[in-house]
Amino acid sequence: MSAAATNGNTLKVRYFDIDENPPKNYLNAESGLKSWLFTVDHKRIGLMYLASIALFFFVGGVLALVLRTELFTPAENLMNAETYNRIFTLHGAIMVFLFIIPSIPAALGNFLLPIMLGAKDVAFPRLNLASFWIYSIGALFTLASLAVNPIDTGWTFYTPYSVQTGSAVILMTFGVFIMGFSSILTGMNFIVTVHKMRAPGMTWGRLPLFIWAMYATSVIQVLATPVLAITLALLIMERTLGIGIFDPALGGDPVLYQHFFWFYSHPAVYIMIVPAFGVISELIGTFSRKTVFGYWAIAMSSLAIAFIGSLVWGHHMFVSGQSELSTVVFSFLTFFVGIPTGIKIFNWLATMHKGSIDMKTPMLYACIFLFLFTIGGVTGIMLGAISVNVQLHDTYYVVAHFHYVMMGGTVMAFLGGLHFWWPKMTGKMYSEFWGRISAVIIFIGFNLTFLPQFIMGSQGMPRRYYSYIEQFQTMHQLSTIGSYVLGIGFVIIAVYLAHSLWKGEKATSNPWGARTLDWMTSSPPLQHNFNYQPVVTNGAYDYHKPISDFTLGISDDVYHGNDHEGDIRKQSAETV
Amino acid sequence: MSAHHIIPLKTLLSTTFALVVLTVVTVAVFYLNIPAPFDVVVALLLASFKATLVAMFFMGLYYDEKFNTVVLVFSLLFFLVFVGITLLDTNFRDAGINVWIP
Amino acid sequence: MAQAQSLENAHVQHHFRSSDQQFSSSKLGMWLFLFTEVMFFGGLFVAYIIYRAWNPELFTMAATELSTVLGGINTVVLIGSSLTCALAIRAAQTNNQKMIVNYLLVTIVLATVFLVIKYFEYTAKFEVGILPGGMYTFEGIDHPKASVFFSIYYMMTGLHGIHVIIGIGLMIWLVVKARAGAYSSAYYTPVEITGLYWHLVDIIWIFLFPLMYLID
Repeated sequence: MSAAATNGNTLKVRYFDIDENPPKNYLNAESGLKSWLFTVDHKRIGLMYLASIALFFFVGGVLALVLRTELFTPAENLMNAETYNRIFTLHGAIMVFLFIIPSIPAALGNFLLPIMLGAKDVAFPRLNLASFWIYSIGALFTLASLAVNPIDTGWTFYTPYSVQTGSAVILMTFGVFIMGFSSILTGMNFIVTVHKMRAPGMTWGRLPLFIWAMYATSVIQVLATPVLAITLALLIMERTLGIGIFDPALGGDPVLYQHFFWFYSHPAVYIMIVPAFGVISELIGTFSRKTVFGYWAIAMSSLAIAFIGSLVWGHHMFVSGQSELSTVVFSFLTFFVGIPTGIKIFNWLATMHKGSIDMKTPMLYACIFLFLFTIGGVTGIMLGAISVNVQLHDTYYVVAHFHYVMMGGTVMAFLGGLHFWWPKMTGKMYSEFWGRISAVIIFIGFNLTFLPQFIMGSQGMPRRYYSYIEQFQTMHQLSTIGSYVLGIGFVIIAVYLAHSLWKGEKATSNPWGARTLDWMTSSPPLQHNFNYQPVVTNGAYDYHKPISDFTLGISDDVYHGNDHEGDIRKQSAETV
Repeated sequence: MSAHHIIPLKTLLSTTFALVVLTVVTVAVFYLNIPAPFDVVVALLLASFKATLVAMFFMGLYYDEKFNTVVLVFSLLFFLVFVGITLLDTNFRDAGINVWIP
Repeated sequence: MAQAQSLENAHVQHHFRSSDQQFSSSKLGMWLFLFTEVMFFGGLFVAYIIYRAWNPELFTMAATELSTVLGGINTVVLIGSSLTCALAIRAAQTNNQKMIVNYLLVTIVLATVFLVIKYFEYTAKFEVGILPGGMYTFEGIDHPKASVFFSIYYMMTGLHGIHVIIGIGLMIWLVVKARAGAYSSAYYTPVEITGLYWHLVDIIWIFLFPLMYLID
């Protein structure tokens, strides 16, 4: 028994040994299809999300390869212009709404957030399951629109075209509307969990940075997604009843639609990237074996991005005909987003400085992230300047910019996080050799795909065109070849990860020597995460302290038993 | 535990009374024909006051954990951001770059 | 003693440490949900504000078509239902099982009165051709964008009406559970958070009433 001071209160805690090979973990504690589909276990829900988004990433990725193949020559290779419009719309909508928004928060976040907090589950487990099913139903609607009459509006559904086109806009937007609720419920659940479910001693200053990033993301989800819901509801009403709020033919204002849409969709960009920042903080801290430099700066900059990111939506509308005054204000505010983002980058670099860096696959992805995301971010600042934006608006430059941020940023962080927590989630180690090979292939393929697009864009190649003038052919062909290389990289990942499930080595509880609570339980974790109530007395990145300092806790028997029930609960209620 | 505060019957009844009186005042003010834009300002001030009463005493924010109030205030703040910045566009469309001199 | 305590805490789900933690979590969750409701209705309020700023004369003209008396009565009805809803929570806190049910029933009745009045308002409009958007045929208002005002009116009051219907559904469910004795001072979370929802529906109407009916 040893005493640990937490917020001035004293709890009686003791050291617990991590059970490396528990007979029951969350994967085999229950079996059968029903035990998955109706589970309220956040870890199983996380895995179901992971499987879903992997499926949609595959679909969206194949569509992207189809698009790139069409663009190999200016002539009609695979499809006509109309089909091309539908395919790029689907690629965008699937990647944004079905893959990237739920990717890190819903898959990794669900799995990790409660464990990292030392809780048994999220605050509302049934709501969490409902959120997964709502997502699935929304996805079904989206796929139904694919079968009926695939939409050709682009993923932004701009009016008035989205009111006039004959394609299945209502089915698609209704699907997105439904998925919005899934996003809202996940965000609410996470915020409450962070506020109310932290283990004794897990103060705000001891939260892992991944939690801070998830918290900021959840705030944006709760704040912005309802506006998307009302926007799409109005769009559906516009199509069915002709209410005339957005349709100029009926006295409406199409630019108002863009305000509504981007009030959600610009913050949504931060729903996509802020969780990636959280993952990168964990990766860089762990593999540099150093306390993360500027903990509070990184934590607070996530919230700052959430806040400033809500003020800048109009930089998508510089050529839409909005007033000059708002254009100037939006451009000015946009530059501010660079500040917290820069703070993060420099703090990560400072963390790596003089650390003993271990270039394992996840860390390789973190470094790729730093490189690609910085390019994406800096070109974003350029696009925030009005004069440059007017020149580059709706060109490949913009396409390259957001692929560097979304794919070079979020997807690379997601891959890093996936490799980092793969042993924890599955209990198996993947092949480190193939992990590094595929990371390098993806890095090369990515740059080969999108660097030429920057060049083409700056020379005036417009986005969303299925043909082009001959001067761009070399660049387009480089880009297409790059996309195939990228595809090969993902296939390799799929193969060795699948292989690791059958033949992989058994993972230990803490293969990377990390210090956060998710590594203080077996791999894969127990059904209820811990068989004791963890008590936290150290920061999440105190690498100078022995791991045993991080497995302190109160025995569940004592904690929920009858003996000390009254006073122990009282104490913990005060510390939380 | 403050979250379980039982709100006094008297508080609930007087809140209701105040809300009904304020509704009557709102309608009375309408018939006074206050010139624009002050009619909207007065109507919104009265409505906001009523909403505050409901939030504080019916919804119990007055007795509750402070963070719940923070959540509500933030929702209003973000709504105002949404309105305010959108109006920067819609109300200044015809201004023209030469008319607007910073 | 120990057994009495565990019975009292039968409603606490296993992942919570205490009843208080569960209660305050549920409440925070509901407040966050109300945050999303504010933003959801907020979108419509933004549309309202912008169109009113563009067409002030239209809003003055069109609002005369709406009945101030009916709108005022509905405001008082909703305020009354908020009171009975708060009293239902109070009854739960003071272990008065019978009055939980009674107060909830009065709330449901008042909510229904609100909807009935709304129904008469709507049908009176439909008869003269004041329909949303493209179906608008009324010629009494001399303004090219007259239909847009009523589109906004129908969207806002319609969405509010849907919330009232959902509220009635929730309270019927509460009545069924309360009849079975599910709520007491130890556990009344569903009553409390449904109450929060209901008061927000009231607040939204408090703003809709002057903004729609009282424009001069």
